[in-house]
Amino acid sequence: MLEVIRSPKVYDVVVIGSGAGGGAAVQVLTGKGIEVALLEAGPMLDPEKDYKEHMLPHHVDHRGAGEGGAHYFGRQPWGFFRAPNGAWDLEGEPYTVAPGSEFRWFRSRILGGRTNHYGRISLRFADYDFVPYSMDGLGTDWPLTYDDLAPYYDKAEAFIGVTGSIEGIRSAPDGIFQPCPPPKAHEHLIKQACSRMNIPCIPMRRAVITKPLNGRPACHYCGQCGRGCITASNYASSQVQILPALKTGKLKIFDQAMAREILSDENGRVTAVSYIDKKTRTEQQIRCRVVVLAASACESARLLLNSRSSRFPQGLANNSGVVGRFLMDTVGLGVGGYVPALEGMPHYDTDGFSGGHVYSPWWEWDKKNKEFPRGYHIEIGGGFGMPGVGSFQGQVNRIGGYGRQLKDRIRKEYGSFVYFAGRGEMIPNNLSYCELDPVTVDKWGIPVLRFHFKWSDYEWKQARHMERTFVDLIESMGGQVLGRRSPRQDGKGISVPGTIIHELGTVRMGNDPRSSALNQYCQGHEVPNLFVADAGPFVSNPDKNPTLTITALAWRTSDYIAEEMKQGHV
Amino acid sequence: MSEPDGRQGNEVSRRVLLQRIALAVASAGVLDLKAGRHVHKAVSQEKQRTGEYTPQCFNGGEYQTLQRLSELIIPADGRSGSALDAGAPEFIDVLANQNEELAEIFISGIFWLDREMGRRRARRFAEATEEEQIRLLDDLAAVADRSAGMLIDFHSAPEYAGFQDYTARPGGRLGPGARFFVWARRLIVDAFYTSPIGYEDVDYKGNHYRTEYEVPQEAIDYVMKRSPLGTA
Repeated sequence: MLEVIRSPKVYDVVVIGSGAGGGAAVQVLTGKGIEVALLEAGPMLDPEKDYKEHMLPHHVDHRGAGEGGAHYFGRQPWGFFRAPNGAWDLEGEPYTVAPGSEFRWFRSRILGGRTNHYGRISLRFADYDFVPYSMDGLGTDWPLTYDDLAPYYDKAEAFIGVTGSIEGIRSAPDGIFQPCPPPKAHEHLIKQACSRMNIPCIPMRRAVITKPLNGRPACHYCGQCGRGCITASNYASSQVQILPALKTGKLKIFDQAMAREILSDENGRVTAVSYIDKKTRTEQQIRCRVVVLAASACESARLLLNSRSSRFPQGLANNSGVVGRFLMDTVGLGVGGYVPALEGMPHYDTDGFSGGHVYSPWWEWDKKNKEFPRGYHIEIGGGFGMPGVGSFQGQVNRIGGYGRQLKDRIRKEYGSFVYFAGRGEMIPNNLSYCELDPVTVDKWGIPVLRFHFKWSDYEWKQARHMERTFVDLIESMGGQVLGRRSPRQDGKGISVPGTIIHELGTVRMGNDPRSSALNQYCQGHEVPNLFVADAGPFVSNPDKNPTLTITALAWRTSDYIAEEMKQGHV
Repeated sequence: MSEPDGRQGNEVSRRVLLQRIALAVASAGVLDLKAGRHVHKAVSQEKQRTGEYTPQCFNGGEYQTLQRLSELIIPADGRSGSALDAGAPEFIDVLANQNEELAEIFISGIFWLDREMGRRRARRFAEATEEEQIRLLDDLAAVADRSAGMLIDFHSAPEYAGFQDYTARPGGRLGPGARFFVWARRLIVDAFYTSPIGYEDVDYKGNHYRTEYEVPQEAIDYVMKRSPLGTA
């Protein structure tokens, strides 16, 4: 008989997962005096030790190539200096992909999860994004509107700090913004090219503060956000929400705690969370009044599917059967170019805050009879980036040879490249979902996910449109497109499913309990004291990076939980 | 998570850095640029060289070949030193010492180079004249670059398992040498441009502390004057 160690204490709320959704839930709930236990499957974060933001390659013998040159063998896809952020493959915690499908699942096991490294692009969904079915007959409408969420976008932006400018563009609703740093020289040229094509190009909306906020100093423009920020000048749930929440005395963090099952009673109410304490390899239970699942869309779906009982034979809160269905990622496509107009420019520090200082929101949202539904936004790259291992290999391959001519050309062309990345909306389909693998378990004995994924013609046509647009932009600047053009139909030319790391939709919300697992407060239709606060509840995956909406939705859900607890409903 | 290079000194310097940032923030509300620069300098001193480097993986002859390749692939010029000056042989030795697969690529490649030079001139690569060395490297570069962009499907080519963007054309007598040339060029180029010498060579100006971020007008003017779209 397995010995299970049960906590004597009954927590008000157990939050599972410490990323954007878990961070917001912890912040809001503890702020209202609610006692929270936070489960994180990875270790605690120590920014002082774990972040390498100001290191230069030569500070380490391997120059950033990693132990034994891991970089050269594809074993370090994110680079050595990145914030501790997880990986495409976690030792002992596999997932499987069904034959004929392709899917990559990026998971983070550390306090703060993927918010420690993410791009921090913070875009509100547009009003029309909440009613996709009403707009074009595809997908499903959300059970809430832009106006329902707008006050929480305000709160989220004001609290975490987001740059931007007031533009009055329907596809990019304005918010509460800090000033964005000015466009870089190559971005002036790109803005000009966009303007000739009637594409808007506006200051970036990014979760980086340019003015001090709540004791966090302003950005110091080292340009290394992806490595984590020791001054917390960008948003990471670990530094901005969770570590500060510890000071309330209302938060207890259980790290290295891998949630295995959510336990419920005969009335269908959640009573406890069972988890593996990785440090001792023992199974433990925490009792609670409410569970907030924020483990990431697919991990949350997995946990629900693994929480079966006689009342919920298909998994907790899943009598509709939708848990795991409607899996979406973002349509990604990038094109780079060499632009002679940039060559010979006086050198300056182009790092700024990490990534582009401008971006292009979708511009054809009101166009009828497009060749594909919905749209995409454009992220922009360029400048004199920080040299690291691999930085000049593209040039080496293009220039060829060796010796003085190679050295001269690399120096001369440095800073003359631009890059456009499209991030577009996928339409949910029946062939893209995750389920429990019938035979495979992880090292803790927990059944793992098996992924199925298929892009449809909608996405392929959108990718074509992206490619044509980016080629036009580069060529109009007098540039030469680099690399292979023309994405092929046979599975090349859109990002591999999952690799944009916007996977979501697997615990869908809706008004109808027959076709959704959660109501508009992300509360289980069938389990009133179960909530989901990651991107699992998303009904669609608009062309806006999901994190800001995760934060806003989790905030709204948490306000609702606090009120329901006060009323004695949960 | 252990310290990146396992050095105690690193740890101390990072602490100093953090204290300085905290101090600067507390006193001014924003980071002071001078304090920032000081911190930056402190970090740069983290890795201190102690005398001559002793190769751990390669023998004397092999290391000599790496040194020569480093000088030839990224040579010194009027602006900066060579990849040898930038520590490329040491970089490759450190990595190969931790990775048998990489060690094998380099040791077998150097063997091949020596044998080919022996066939041509009856001496080792490192002992050949500069003209002879350049002639051989030119031949290898020609093979390697002719197939550049022709991505080998590494799944279906067992001899290339484990790396994805190696572009040398398989087959042909020079094939193995071209394969090694691509590896050597790749690591030597990386070693050069990740060194302080390489940073200075390309004149990288970033990863600094700034209280304000500004884009120099002269850079904007330069680009916009050259824009084929006309002046905005």
